[in-house]
Amino acid sequence: MADEDYNDYDGGDVGYEEEPPEPDIEDEVAEGDEENDDARDFDGLETDTLVDGAEVRTDKPRKTTKYMTKYERARVLGTRALQISMNAPVMVNLEGETDPLEIAMKELRERKIPFTIRRYLPDGSYEDWGVDELIVEDSWRRQVG
Amino acid sequence: MFFHIYLDRNLQLHPRHFGPHLRDKLIAKLIQDVEGTCSGRHGFVVAVTAVETIGSGLIRDGTGFVTFPVKYQCVVFRPFKGEILESVVTMVNKMGFFAEAGPVQIFVSNHLIPDDMAFQSDDVPNYKTSDGSVRIQKDSEVRLKIVGTRVDATEIFCIGTIKDDFLGLIGDPGGAT
Repeated sequence: MADEDYNDYDGGDVGYEEEPPEPDIEDEVAEGDEENDDARDFDGLETDTLVDGAEVRTDKPRKTTKYMTKYERARVLGTRALQISMNAPVMVNLEGETDPLEIAMKELRERKIPFTIRRYLPDGSYEDWGVDELIVEDSWRRQVG
Repeated sequence: MFFHIYLDRNLQLHPRHFGPHLRDKLIAKLIQDVEGTCSGRHGFVVAVTAVETIGSGLIRDGTGFVTFPVKYQCVVFRPFKGEILESVVTMVNKMGFFAEAGPVQIFVSNHLIPDDMAFQSDDVPNYKTSDGSVRIQKDSEVRLKIVGTRVDATEIFCIGTIKDDFLGLIGDPGGAT
């Protein structure tokens, strides 16, 4: 009966885990529209990534390139510029810049973009790399305006 | 009946809310979105009591919005068949009367009102026993039993009866019992 429905919720296993307060903004750029099935497992990792920078907790060592690809760079800059244009707080000190893309590029140069890139591999697994960990090659730098 | 249950929800947050108070903004948005709503599955959400976890956000392509999966505890109210409720009469007409128990609307048809009570179409329409000792009108408090519920996706509506022992008027308008 209807009562049984509710037993699920009352007695149900709700793996409560104490989560540290969010340090700041935490977002991620994820490929595709996958919903967050294992967001819980991912919580701690995400926070560690952002708080400690280099310290990342993963089951397996990551094996994709430590360089940011030009596609990732384009997507990160584009998304971040869009957010900045929508009044997101800027993470760097501005010296008169007004163009959102220019601000996004400055943030990237100072490694202050609060994103994590989720790289999906052909077998469906993924690796998470903070934008602050990836090496951005200089040769891609482009003059704006 | 009230239940204290765990629910989750994906919240879309505008980029302008990013920053040190992101968590507070999310909780405020959750409460605003959720409290007072009704889902057929869980009933009326009365109050959010605690926010369990806020997962990592996922950036929506093209919009710059970020979706956060939020798990929260809340109190929900869901009427069941056979449940006894106390309610306040909101409208009386010749077909029966409507009563409200918190957020839920209950209709009591005149077939489910004791036979010795008859409809009176005075200034204040009411149901009255022949000797006038019991009078149900707008704002009366009534104890009733739910005999049927209609559960839609976003609405719950009930049919009640006062044709049973210990059911009926428990308080007159004004609150005196």
